[in-house]
Amino acid sequence: MTVREPPDPIIRMVDLHKRFGELVVLDGVTFGIPRGLTTVLLGPSGTGKSVLIKHIVGLLEPDSGEVWVDDVRVDTASVRQQYAVRKRFGMMFQNGALFDNLTAGENVEFPLRYHTSHNAAKRRKIAEEKLALVELPEVYDRPTSALSGGQRKRVSLARAIVLEPDVVLFDEPNSGLDPLTSSTVDALISRMKDQLGITFVVITHDIVQALAIGDWIGMLSGGELVEYGPREDFLKSESDVVRGFLARNHTV
Amino acid sequence: MVTALARIGDFGLFCVRVGRSTFRHRPPIARSIEEAYHIGFRSLPILLVISAFVGTNLALQGYNAFVPLGGQRLVGMFIALAGVRELAPIMVASMVAAKAGTEMASQIAVMRIQEQIDALEVMAIDPHWYLVVPRFVGICLVLPALTMISIFTLVLASYLVSVYQLGLNGPEFIQLASATTRPVDLWYCVLKAFAFGIVICLVSCYYGFTTRPGPSGVGRATNAAVVVSAVVCSLLNYVMSEILFG
Ligand SMILES: Nc1ncnc2c1ncn2[C@@H]1O[C@H](COP(=O)(O)OP(=O)(O)OP(=O)(O)O)[C@@H](O)[C@H]1O
Ligand SMILES: [Mg+2]
Repeated sequence: MTVREPPDPIIRMVDLHKRFGELVVLDGVTFGIPRGLTTVLLGPSGTGKSVLIKHIVGLLEPDSGEVWVDDVRVDTASVRQQYAVRKRFGMMFQNGALFDNLTAGENVEFPLRYHTSHNAAKRRKIAEEKLALVELPEVYDRPTSALSGGQRKRVSLARAIVLEPDVVLFDEPNSGLDPLTSSTVDALISRMKDQLGITFVVITHDIVQALAIGDWIGMLSGGELVEYGPREDFLKSESDVVRGFLARNHTV
Repeated sequence: MVTALARIGDFGLFCVRVGRSTFRHRPPIARSIEEAYHIGFRSLPILLVISAFVGTNLALQGYNAFVPLGGQRLVGMFIALAGVRELAPIMVASMVAAKAGTEMASQIAVMRIQEQIDALEVMAIDPHWYLVVPRFVGICLVLPALTMISIFTLVLASYLVSVYQLGLNGPEFIQLASATTRPVDLWYCVLKAFAFGIVICLVSCYYGFTTRPGPSGVGRATNAAVVVSAVVCSLLNYVMSEILFG
């Protein structure tokens, strides 16, 4: 079990514990997320990957431990401070979390409406740009309910990046996507990382995707981080869980 | 027992959050008006029907009760006391709890389980402000108006039955009814309506926010919302009548 320290972490978690009733989900997780790189967290279903990233933006409170974003301690911060931190984040939820009563485009421009003073035309222009970026140029006026699962995810991605955040969190960006769309999303992530210097934190149980985009890769299992480090180090891991995951990828 | 107390404490906390959100940011005026329109418009048809037929039956039963005593003239007074002061406000509240309250609870519960509320949080938009405040303002705007409409319909229907079916004296009915209903009584009804609106909105939104995962969670939240708001409103109705009308 090796957990490496990244040189310039933007996010740090220290000895994080979280349980729901009897169920221990996080059992002492400590690690840092490198600035400007893409970090991928792998793990079998139900190990607490979603729970872990929800701690980063204060959606869940740890039972014990600390969560830091730069020099703000998120878990004990005031509501106002937390909101200030969240403005630096975009997040794509596992099933999109789009607002059903709005159109696709209105969903994308939603954060602009509340956090910028752009007028309607400007907002629409930005939203359409972001939709083009996720290769959905013509859905602006489509009601959210008329979108397919994959389209919903990409609209959600467009919404997550619309304010050009420092950090984007993805909860399973490609579950339910066909391989082609999935690699489009991967390419998109790589491009945005290079062009905009965004830090990505991606949760997945897809090893192919992890290796395609991950600069740093971690494996969560049994409430602990069993392996975490740069991709090359991760590939050399001795851990059974990691070897098991890697064995499923024939290209390695 | 302990869980019930914890639940009440939790609800208190929720109310404090909503209160803070109400004053921390500018209220979403357009969306509040939209909510008011939505709540009012949706509840109005059923409200008119039920108010009218409660009015007719109050007149019939009032007549039946007073005939043996030789006081059938007093039906107008009975309507004013029972119908205006008591029945109309709680009837409107129950109906709005059943229509608008359940809708609030289920909409918010669905947003909770689909992580839309988390999404609002991450977008640094206070979900209490975004989801509860417009519904709160909307219901407070519309419930007193609905109550007045209900009172008017109820009295009109009972007047028609009293005069045209039971053969009572029309001017006398109006004179007794209006002598019994002081203007301040109508203000008290408005006060009741405000109180019921606040209860319905807070209770329904609370159950929505704290729903358990899954479709059964949404069903349970919706159900609990209407039951709890109806019970609390009824208790409150008793207490307020005791204080206001003595
Ligand atoms: N709010 C909650 N209340 C109770 N239990 C929860 C809650 N959130 C998550 N859990 C439990 O915590 C465990 C981890 O959940 P989590 O959603 O983080 O898994 P995951 O690793 O994201 O899995 P998947 O890949 O299927 O999304 C699960 O057993 C889940 O039932
Ligand atoms: Mg998950």
